[in-house]
This record gives sequence, structure tokens and C-alpha cells, in this order.
Amino acid sequence: MTSVCETSLGDEQTLARIPGWVTSSRAETPEDVAFLSGAALAHLHFAVAKAAAFQALLRDRLALRAAEACVAFSGRPERVGELRDAVHLMRPGDLPGPAGEICLAWRRAVERPMSVKALGRALPTFEPRQIATWLDAGKGAPVTRAAMVLETVLTEAPRADIAGLILADAALAQALGWEHLMPVLASDLKRADLRKHGDDLRLACLRALIASSIEAVRLAADLGRRAEHLRAVAPKLRAKGAREAVEMFLTHDAVAPSALPLPDRAARRLCDRLVDLGAVRELTGRDTFRLYGV
Amino acid sequence: MAKEHPDPELDRELTDLPPELRWREWMRRIEAVLFASASPVPREHLARVVGQEVSVDLLIEDLAADLEGRAFEIAQAAGGWMFRTRAAYASAIRAAADVCDQQLDLSEFDVAVLAAIAYHQPITRDGLKDIFGREISRDLIGRLNAQGLIGTGPRAPRRGAPYTFVTTDVFLAAFGMESLRDLPDPEQLDDAGLAAHT
Repeated sequence: MTSVCETSLGDEQTLARIPGWVTSSRAETPEDVAFLSGAALAHLHFAVAKAAAFQALLRDRLALRAAEACVAFSGRPERVGELRDAVHLMRPGDLPGPAGEICLAWRRAVERPMSVKALGRALPTFEPRQIATWLDAGKGAPVTRAAMVLETVLTEAPRADIAGLILADAALAQALGWEHLMPVLASDLKRADLRKHGDDLRLACLRALIASSIEAVRLAADLGRRAEHLRAVAPKLRAKGAREAVEMFLTHDAVAPSALPLPDRAARRLCDRLVDLGAVRELTGRDTFRLYGV
Repeated sequence: MAKEHPDPELDRELTDLPPELRWREWMRRIEAVLFASASPVPREHLARVVGQEVSVDLLIEDLAADLEGRAFEIAQAAGGWMFRTRAAYASAIRAAADVCDQQLDLSEFDVAVLAAIAYHQPITRDGLKDIFGREISRDLIGRLNAQGLIGTGPRAPRRGAPYTFVTTDVFLAAFGMESLRDLPDPEQLDDAGLAAHT
């Protein structure tokens, strides 16, 4: 079945969008929620497989969304823009600050193939053994597993909602057979959901996954188009180091010109040129300290 | 994980000891490290003095159980552990000496600025000026920094890329907080909170 989907262009376009009966239905009963959630998640599963060429970029951007949600859960005002700034304007020796720390945790969680060690890097205040135990706390179907992991973490460490959400997403990814963590659970949960238990929590997770899968599939399709365009214009760039620069754009949510492997002025010119070519966008709206991304 | 500079002399595994004594010895080592440190010690550091794959959490748990009934306890603060006298003995300690003064030498205004940084971090000196309606001196910032209570955060995306300031783990430990979520409600700040600590 997968081979058919991977070869035919028609399917590719259909897959870029989740059918209307999923996106426009309002699920009321738990059965409906579970049904639509499963349908949306199956779609996301294909979208993730198709996104192989720019998966790091997709993960990085979803991580940012998840971080934004977690920052809001912790009662802080920072939005995506400030989180990007925190990550990109940090110099060696600087501390990330509370919101930056949350953002870094998510980015570390998605950076490398999933393992207890990689998750330990993202959550350094927890013991690897503890992380491994929590990760195995769920049983059953993927979303049920994720919800059980979240509940276990929050029961044993009531303040560790970021750890709980990262590990729940990790459990979900594991259950779906993904190599990398794909942050989808946190962004559409509500703060009050984190205090739920058992069936209520599972239902909240299922409901959140309808919305976030739809959004993630849309994002994947959008990034796929943009990444393709960036690859198409890449040969027009003659600057030295342009290839590496394009590679960075294809794997990172945002890039500061100073981080590119080019001299400052050349890096800024390359970014301007890519904006002119419609291949990347300036993300901050500022005249200085600009950040660019696909 | 914590393999930066393992002391070649230190026998971490203690294979020649029977299991029970080995566990005791590991507990004592952790006790010694915590005793010797003025700031919270993170797990990775403690993991360096005990056997590989040994759960620091379990050792700490046993150690905490041992300290039942003593005047001090193991407290979790800022992503690590530290020894702390139990709150019940605060008045006794105060009556005996000016212990508090030696720990934090801050004026009331210093604490107000520190609180503003805690609530509004990351914040620049200009941002603090907007809050207090006057210039915050470099000296004051330097004082907080020298005591390790604040550090520099990501630069502000503004002309000159000024430093922002953020609070540190030392700040959390000094005020007995596990995370910034333990900060009191901003409204209670004036009457209930931070002034009492000076």
C-alpha cells in the first residue's frame, strides 16, 4: 500500500490534505473523538513518512509550537517570536532564561533519533533510569500509551509537565514506529487537561491530536512545497558555502545570518537573495537581528 | 554521562565491599558532597562518586530517611540537592547569630530589583528602568551578579544587543524555590514575600 502512495503524484496531493469529513466534523461522543483522532493520526503517519527529506525542519518547527504551549502552561507570556529570539540570540555563557529553557528542552528532544540517552539530554534533571521507566509506563494503542505516560509522570512528579509532555510524545512516536520524536500532543492540549486522569485524560489527548494532526499535516505539506522550491533555486546561488547554507535552512526552523558558514556580509546578502527568490522568509519583522526560515 | 573528569583514584564501584556496605558507602559519599557544597549539587555530579548505573535518586531517598529527626534535611532545589536546616529552627539560628547576613548581603532595593528580574526575565537594564522609573546602577546589577543570583540571558534584539538578565539556580536555592513557579503571586509581593528574607 505504501509503495502505491509513494509513487503516484495524485496520491501525494490527496495526502497533503486531510479529508473534510475529518477536519470539519465536530466530535461529541468519546467514540467519535477516538474515531476522528485515529483517522487524523493515520494521515499524519503518512505525512511524516513523506516528509523524510525535510523532517528535521518539520520537527524543529513543531518543537517550537510545543514549547510555546508549554511556556503558556507555565503562565509565562512568551510566544513563538520570543522563543526564537531566546534560542538564537544566546551567546556562549548566557543562560537561556525560563522560556528559553523550555524551548531548548523540546529542541533537544527532537534533534536526535529517539533514545533514553537523547531524552536524558533534553531532560537533564531526571535520571535516565527514571526516564526509561516512565517511557514504558503505557500499554495498549498509541494514544492510550501516550496518555498513560503523561499521567504517570504527572502523578509521580506533579510539576514535571514538560517532561510529561515530551515523554508522552516520545511514547506516541515509539508506538507509531517513528525514529524521531514528533511533537504533536502538547500544542493542542489545554492547561486544565494536564490535571485530568484516566479516561478523561485519554479523551483530552485524543481530542488534542485531531487538531494537532490536522495542523501538522498542513504544516508538512506547506514545508514540503517550500523546501522543494528552496532546493530548486539552490543552483542559482553562487556564493561559496551556499550549499551548506541551504542545508541549514532545510533542517532548522530559523537561522540567523551570523550562524551561516559565510562571512557576515555575504551571509546577509545570501539571505536577502533567498527572500527575493521566495525561498525563505524573514521571520521577525525587524530590521536588525533578523532571523530567516523556510 | 558524567565522565568529564572522573578522579582516577576514586573507586566508584567498590566491588570489594559486600552490597550492603557498598550502598552505605555510596550514601556517605553523597552526604559528604552535599555537606561540602554551598549550592545545590545536580544529579550528574553526584553520579560521579557512586557506581555506574546506580540510582542517585534511591541513594538520596535512603539518606533522607536516615536524616529523619535531625535538624537538617535534604532539599531539592534548582535541579539538584542540598542540605538545609529545617524551617522550624529558623528562629533559633537567627537568635544565635546573624547567619542570614553572611549569606545574602542585599539592600531592600536590591531585592526589589532582583524580584523584578525574577518576574520579568529576560529583562535588560532599560527594561528595569521602565519598571522603577529610574536608572538601575551597574553596581547593583554587578552585586547581584557577583553573588551568583543573576546571570546574562539571551541578548535583546535591539541596538547594541544589550544583555538581558535572568535569575540563576543560586537564586532559586537562596530563596528555597524549586522552580520559578514557586514565586509568590505578584500581588502578594509587597507585603508577604521577599522583604521578609532580608
